[in-house]
Amino acid sequence: MSSDFEAYEQDFGTLTAEITNKIGRIPKLGGEEKTQLVLNVDKQLEEVRELMEQMDLEVREIPIQSRAMYQSRLKSYKGELEKLEKDFKRSRIAYSDEVRNELLGEEGGSSESQLIKLREERAHLLDNTEKLERSSRRLDAGYQIAVETEQVGQEILANLNTDREKIQRSRERLRETDANLGKSSRILTGMLRR
Amino acid sequence: MDTSGKEKEAMQLMAEADKKVKSSGSFLGGMFGGSHHKVEDACEMYARAANMFKMAKNWTAAGNAFCQGARLHMQLQNKLDSATSFVDAGNAYKKADPQEAINCLNAAIDIYTDMGRFTIAAKHHITIAEIYESELVDIEKAIAHYEQAADYYKGEESNSSANKCLLKVGHYSAQLEQYPKAIEIYEQVATNTMDNPLLKYNAKEYFFKASLCHFIVDELNAKLAIEKYEEMFPAFADSRECKLLKKLLDAHEEQNCEAFTEAVKEFDSISRLDQWLTTMLLRIKKTIQGDSGDLK
Repeated sequence: MSSDFEAYEQDFGTLTAEITNKIGRIPKLGGEEKTQLVLNVDKQLEEVRELMEQMDLEVREIPIQSRAMYQSRLKSYKGELEKLEKDFKRSRIAYSDEVRNELLGEEGGSSESQLIKLREERAHLLDNTEKLERSSRRLDAGYQIAVETEQVGQEILANLNTDREKIQRSRERLRETDANLGKSSRILTGMLRR
Repeated sequence: MDTSGKEKEAMQLMAEADKKVKSSGSFLGGMFGGSHHKVEDACEMYARAANMFKMAKNWTAAGNAFCQGARLHMQLQNKLDSATSFVDAGNAYKKADPQEAINCLNAAIDIYTDMGRFTIAAKHHITIAEIYESELVDIEKAIAHYEQAADYYKGEESNSSANKCLLKVGHYSAQLEQYPKAIEIYEQVATNTMDNPLLKYNAKEYFFKASLCHFIVDELNAKLAIEKYEEMFPAFADSRECKLLKKLLDAHEEQNCEAFTEAVKEFDSISRLDQWLTTMLLRIKKTIQGDSGDLK
């Protein structure tokens, strides 16, 4: 039983490899070849699906103890199949470089247009580098200014602290003077009475 | 600006005042009723004469006049007036004869400390120290005065002003290569300012300076010190100064002069190194070069 399963597995492997290959080629082709390849892949996918059904039946005949392993493998194969189908669908609607060139470029792969493109790219990149350098220079200058500002701020804070202490002292003295004045005015009123 | 006229007037006043003093002196030994008045008048005249000398920009004469006035006030037991006159004399002499200025200011300080006015005394200590710094260039005496000022300020709980003076002391001590003292001062100030939210941004600068002093003395000390400071004050670890220190330590270990210069240049490009820092870094650099010289 299990040997049958293994045979199915091998077939599965080869088929999926072929399908992946063909799916890879589909976007690059166009027209007649493409439709043929598409039909081909379609047929192979059908075969794979049949294989999967067979594998399913096989797994059901296996005794319960060893079933778990085969079931998990079967699940992974199902996942692969789904992925292949998705890729296939995508490839049918995807466009590749060749098709694009056909649409946009006149002489697609001629070397002259490539040179012009390269030169433009180079100028563009140089421009970018210069912009980056200017930005970094400005950032450096900004950083310097920030550092200087911090230093100035430090000094100002220290001065403020000193001033604060002076003001506090003056206030204390003022209160003392006030108290003294109050005392002296009381003494004077006392003296007046006498 | 009739300056010469003013001078003449001033001279006249001085002469009058002198006469008054002498006359009161010869009279009754000086201190009674009428003569009292005379001496006070004389004081006032001295002050006016001094002011006129100032207008005429004759600083020595002005200082002289103020000094005389001050001595008279002392006789009259007007301590406060005397002290203020001495201070005026000091200011006038500052422009002409620094040494005399210092003498007058010292006299004023004595009076103030006698009266218990330490804050003002401290302020004048700072003035004297500044004179020593700039005109007479006697750094040791300047340090002494700054220290005295710092102590007075501490006594009066003006920690900010005290810190200011201490920093100057540290500055000059390090310049004079009195490193242990400088290290202690910088560490002390840094720990004090660490907690104060207004001043904590300064703390990292002080730690930096302390580490540099450690560095000059001994590299291992510097490493231990930096670790200690980082523990005490995490913000220090992030600062550019700390990164510079680590780079310098590495360069020193490898005796790599270029790496050292490289790191210093990089730091300088962002924030200029002032004179003190350059001197210290130069000394450290010399130790590197000195070592590599020995190896050769």
